[in-house]
This record gives sequence, C-alpha cells and structure tokens, in this order.
Amino acid sequence: MAGTIKKILDVIISKRGKGDKILVDIIHTRLVLRGFDPDKFSPTTPDDAELIARVRKLALELNVTL
Amino acid sequence: MTTRTAYSQQSSPQDAVRELATRLAGPKPRLVVYFASSHYVPEEIAAEMQRAFAPAALLGCTTAGELVGGVMLKNSVVAIALGADVIEAVQVEVVTDLSNPDALVGPFASIASHFKVPNAMELDTDRHVGIVLVDGLSGAEERLMERIGNQTDVIFIGGSAGDDLRFQATHVFANGRSYRNAAILAVIRAANGFGIVKTQSFRTHGKKLVATRVREDQREVLEFDGKPAAQAYAEALGVPATTAAEQFMSHPLGLVARGDIFVRSPQQVTAEGAIRFYCSIQAGTELAILTATDMIEDTVHAVEAKREELGGISALLNFNCILRTLELEKTGRTQAYGKLFEGLPMVGFSTYGEQYLGHINQTATMLAFH
Repeated sequence: MAGTIKKILDVIISKRGKGDKILVDIIHTRLVLRGFDPDKFSPTTPDDAELIARVRKLALELNVTL
Repeated sequence: MTTRTAYSQQSSPQDAVRELATRLAGPKPRLVVYFASSHYVPEEIAAEMQRAFAPAALLGCTTAGELVGGVMLKNSVVAIALGADVIEAVQVEVVTDLSNPDALVGPFASIASHFKVPNAMELDTDRHVGIVLVDGLSGAEERLMERIGNQTDVIFIGGSAGDDLRFQATHVFANGRSYRNAAILAVIRAANGFGIVKTQSFRTHGKKLVATRVREDQREVLEFDGKPAAQAYAEALGVPATTAAEQFMSHPLGLVARGDIFVRSPQQVTAEGAIRFYCSIQAGTELAILTATDMIEDTVHAVEAKREELGGISALLNFNCILRTLELEKTGRTQAYGKLFEGLPMVGFSTYGEQYLGHINQTATMLAFH
C-alpha cells in the first residue's frame, strides 16, 4: 500500500484551508512545523504504520475528521 | 487618537510608570502593551501599569532588552497605547498552566464569547490577529503554539519573555498581575487592517541534515544522518568537530517550507556530542544549514515592504530574538538597528524565542497595524 499519508494530509489541508489560499498556506506551514511537509509525500510514498498513526493523531488534534 | 509610545528608565516601578503615564497622556487607549526589564519587581510593575492605564486592556512581559521608536534600551520599560482607531476590540486571556493540555480551552471559549462567535475557529482571520507572550523559561512554546493552532486559524504572533540573560525567572503580565509558567493571549479585531513581518537574516547554505535520533523534550538532536549531531554538523560545514559551536550564530539550521525559513538555533554541544537547540526538533526532520546575511538590510526591506503593502503603519510590535540583539551588540550596530524604526510608533523587546505559527529562533516577528 502507498499514499495514505498524502491522502490524510490533503484532507487536513482541504478541511482546515476551507478553500482560502491564505489559510491553505498557513495550514501547510503548520504541518511542516509539526513534522509533516506535504510536499514530501506523494501518492507513491510507501505506507509506514508509525507515520500513519502520527498523522492520524495530528488530524484529530486539528479537529479534522478523516 | 493616534498611537503613542513612551519609555522610562526610572529605577522604581512607581516612578517609571508615572513617567510613562505622563508621556502617554491623552485620549483613553483601548489597549496598552508594555515590556519591562526584569530589574523591575514584576508584581509591582504589573500592578502599577494596571493602576495607571485601566480600564484599557493591558498585557506585557519581562525582557532581555527593550525597543522603542529609534532606540534599543536596557533596564527600561517601554509601552505603546493603542486607541479605537487601531483596535476595534480586544480580549486578553491568561493561560495559567502551560503543562495542562486543556489549558487553552477556557481562554478560547472566553475569546469566542467576547467576539460573539460559536468557537474560535469561526473568527474571521482577515480581521482578527493574536498576540502571544509566554514564559521564556517554560520550554513549552512548541506545545503552546501547536495547541493555539488546534483551536483557531487566527494567526498568533509574539515572543518569549526574557530576564536580561540571567535565566532565572521570566514573567508575563495581564490584569495587573504577574505570572510564571503561563502565557498571555490577546485576540484583536483590527480597525483598519494588520500585517505580519517575519524576518530572519539567513539564506540556505546548500547542505541539509536529517535529524535521525532526537530527545525532543530536551530540545536535543542526538544524531544527524546517523552520525553524532555535532560531528555531522561540523562535517557539513567543513570544520573540525571541536569548533562546531563557534559556527552556531552564523550557521544555524532551518526548516524550509516552500522557501520560507523557520530558524532552529543550536545552543550548545553536549558531552555526548549531541546538539541542544533553542527549540525542539522532531525525528525525521530535514534541516537546511543556513548562512548569515545582513540583518539591518534585511529588516529594512521587510518593514518597508510591509509599510507599502499596508499603505502605512500606525503601530508596530517587534519581537526581536536576543540572539539577534547579541549579534548587533557584538558588531556595534544596536544604534543602527534602533534607527531603522525611527519615526515609527514601535515598541518591542529582546526575546527568548519568537512565535509565528510555531516557535522559532533568531528571527524578528512583528505585528503591524495600519
């Protein structure tokens, strides 16, 4: 399996960014600062159980329902 | 009213505040922000400021040096009084226990209630901005900024309180009281718009290091790229490992997000060859090695760009890293830095850390109001 982290990050950006370019940039930076640079994950990034658990926890903290 | 700034170098809190009150006399301000040397008794300066300026909302903190208008100061208190022409509404809250994961729930509920929105996520980010002042020795800034980001999309900008490089106790002020292990949050609805300046005088050096083993809670990186951190850092710069620490000021590391640099400053090499930083770094983080550029020139450009974007600056709060101040002192350029702000209604302080979306180092973060 691959691409799960990218998918989750995209959901976070979409839901917290609300389609507003400035908010999208802000949430992108917040994700980088919290250890997940969305630009470094792609649909072919191999799934890593530990990272997936971390990004799911991050989504929960950001009040994003996956 | 137009924004007014003042400072006092009187040694007693009573005399200092009396002088500030005289210099700031005029129409009642809506918000007063002040930064005081740790040489003042924190409880006394907070109480005196409250007595002098209530019912204005007040917030402040102790410093490692102060900034006002065109000068950099020591052992002083500086203040800015902001009126209804700049601040449409403001709510100040105290986070009293930074170790409590739920400590922000109450303050943000109160902020939401004040601005009549269901929750802080509903605040209009075009009109609202936050100020955060935090105990600079708490080591809790990263978690605090993450929790703020969990609660709201409003951008918070600010600094970590200092204590004139004594590293014993730093204090934040609100409601006439002084607090430790605490943060002050203020959400402001700006009357005529606002802008944020983040300026750090570094460019990427071309080399990167990945933190492969960390002790996050101690803000330590044990290994970069599988090697002892100090050794890997020194190798990347082509210097002997024994001289790694000498490179820290001019070659910190940085997280780079789409070209924007978030500086992570190394503090010291530990006995085991790890590097302790002024902010925490997560395992797996890729950091660019940075090279210093001209601080004065960069700051001029950043402030001028913001002034142009906003069509003028009617008030400016400047949270300037103590490491930048030390570099300015070392190179004899404190007066030149102060002069950059001549004619601008600005106050600020030398911080133990800067806040903008997260906790950062060796940066000046500024909040500008039109």
